[in-house]
Amino acid sequence: MFRKILIANRGEIAVRVIKACREMGIGSVAVFSEADAAALHVRLADEAVPLGPPPAAESYLHMEKIVAAARASGAEAVHPGYGFLAENAAFARLCETEGLVFIGPSSAALELVGDKVRARQTMEKAGVPTVPGMKSCSASAEEFRAAARALGYPVMVKASAGGGGKGMRVVPDEDGLGPALEAGRREARSAFGDGSVYLEKCIEEPRHVEFQVLADNDGRTVHLFERECSIQRRHQKILEESPSPTLDPGLRREMGETAVRAMRAAGYNNAGTVEFLLDKERRFYFLEVNARLQVEHPVTELVTGVDLVRQQILIASGAPLALRQEDLAQRGHAIECRIYAEDPKTNFLPSAGRIAFLREPKGPGIRFDSGVAEGFEVPVYYDPILAKLIVWAEDREAARRRMAVALEDCVILGIRTTVGFLGDVVGHPEFRAGRVTTSFIGKHFASWGTGEGEDDRERLALAAAAFEALSPGGSAAGAAGPGRRTAAATPWTTLGRWRAGGEP
Amino acid sequence: MSRAAFEFLLDGEIREISVDIRDGALVVHEGGRVLETGVRRVSANEIRLRFGDRSVRVFLAKDGERTWVAVDGRQYVVSEARAETGRPGEGDERTAGGSLRVKAPMPGKVTKLAVSEGENVRRNQTLVIVEAMKMENEIKTSIDGVVAKVHVAAGDLVDAEKILIEIEPKTA
Repeated sequence: MFRKILIANRGEIAVRVIKACREMGIGSVAVFSEADAAALHVRLADEAVPLGPPPAAESYLHMEKIVAAARASGAEAVHPGYGFLAENAAFARLCETEGLVFIGPSSAALELVGDKVRARQTMEKAGVPTVPGMKSCSASAEEFRAAARALGYPVMVKASAGGGGKGMRVVPDEDGLGPALEAGRREARSAFGDGSVYLEKCIEEPRHVEFQVLADNDGRTVHLFERECSIQRRHQKILEESPSPTLDPGLRREMGETAVRAMRAAGYNNAGTVEFLLDKERRFYFLEVNARLQVEHPVTELVTGVDLVRQQILIASGAPLALRQEDLAQRGHAIECRIYAEDPKTNFLPSAGRIAFLREPKGPGIRFDSGVAEGFEVPVYYDPILAKLIVWAEDREAARRRMAVALEDCVILGIRTTVGFLGDVVGHPEFRAGRVTTSFIGKHFASWGTGEGEDDRERLALAAAAFEALSPGGSAAGAAGPGRRTAAATPWTTLGRWRAGGEP
Repeated sequence: MSRAAFEFLLDGEIREISVDIRDGALVVHEGGRVLETGVRRVSANEIRLRFGDRSVRVFLAKDGERTWVAVDGRQYVVSEARAETGRPGEGDERTAGGSLRVKAPMPGKVTKLAVSEGENVRRNQTLVIVEAMKMENEIKTSIDGVVAKVHVAAGDLVDAEKILIEIEPKTA
């Protein structure tokens, strides 16, 4: 087993991996940019190595600096987390040639599944159903137009090196094709350093169901069932659950076996995910392999009882997979909500700033994977994910209710977050009924912020602010209070009675 | 009993209220509407309001001039009305002449200019793309008009509230 692992990431996933290292008796090395010097992952790791300026290209994406940090600290393995270098075959190869173990698939497997076009060809050969689409990225504008016509609109622009919705665009008609290709290329180039895009038939109102797979270095492969990830915004998942409310045991078995077959065809090792689209007729299509630990891995951990990060480290160290398919089962129901630093009232614009107050939800069946702490300045340079709230309960409805309460108990002030929005998603009757497709947010949450009870909530917020301004016992003590214009009487003598903050 | 009057900005919108305070209760008047709530302080950052038959958890945190308030999991920013004018987060502004100053809503990098000076634009048309936190954000105009001035170029790094583009409204 390794004695020391370098975590080439930041935020909640770096914290998650550091915790697994501690539990396994392995030393942890964090890396950080200048924007993250005070970040939680830096505080929690045994050692921390600075990488340089905040832009990702000069820090978390800078392969040579990360390899040098591993060398200098004596780490034997590198865990890439998700995003940044996690699916970068060149980085995996660099680790291999430098004698560092990359905790993830081999560079060959990464190269294959990372090239979405080649991956589709491999899957087709292995008899895995795929979404109809272009066979290559190298096409002229005219060839793209012809391909789109042959597929039939709507079509989808996808980045060949893609993931996380970056570079993806739905194209409703031919007028939209040019701008969508251009925007997709630009976003893909800035996110992955590779601007190649291709077209796929757009499956309308699909469900997004993915299967978690673990494979050891000798090809022993199991799946750990599905995650339903249909609740998305701008092709970004925001809520995931397991089991899927859509699958029945027969379909689950068939898709699980297909996922294992797909990963074997790709020669895949370590943890990975096979993403499928499920159409209205419950036909499923291979979408892509996510060759990394997924953001939403905790829902699988909660329903299967398997620690996926620990398994990744064991597999990377060369240990044979100890899990057998027949021993794996789903128990109860888990839901994850991703908490982003985005303002749902202004069409989810990113919100950077200092976290003035943080109250983490706690209780039975509640897990909070967080990368932030009170007082932390959320930088503008990276993905806006702050934390993930995951709950487990005996069944879906119990888990849904637990999530609703946990979201109420999750308080982050000082920056805008998606917590309130997620509360409304979880409370929506269609979500409660399990009728979720990738169009869910667009359909039911086209505009947000004027929901039921909003008038009362606003007035209560004003009342609270007034109370805060007037109450000397509060955190506003000593301040004149915002907006206080006149006080008809002198409130202070009266206020003395509540100062103790006791019962009304 | 006493009464205090406030001129607040709630998420950028002016709200004038007056508040009566009695033993453990607040009566809020806004225009002709009255809201009565029991109040109990739980900690420096938490108060409990009793509203109808519900107990509502409210969390507060000061951030300079602003007070962040969470009610039932929803966030609001409350601040003094006058101190707020021209502060970050105010959004686009209209000049006295009626033209629209489109501002960067967050710090980021201009990745694309979609219009040029003199061009006619329609409401909701994309003017500029600003990339922040690895996502492209399309900055649109809220009015029909003509691009009067472009203040940025592709590749520029902009701060929040930086004026990007000015639009002259269309005269009918």
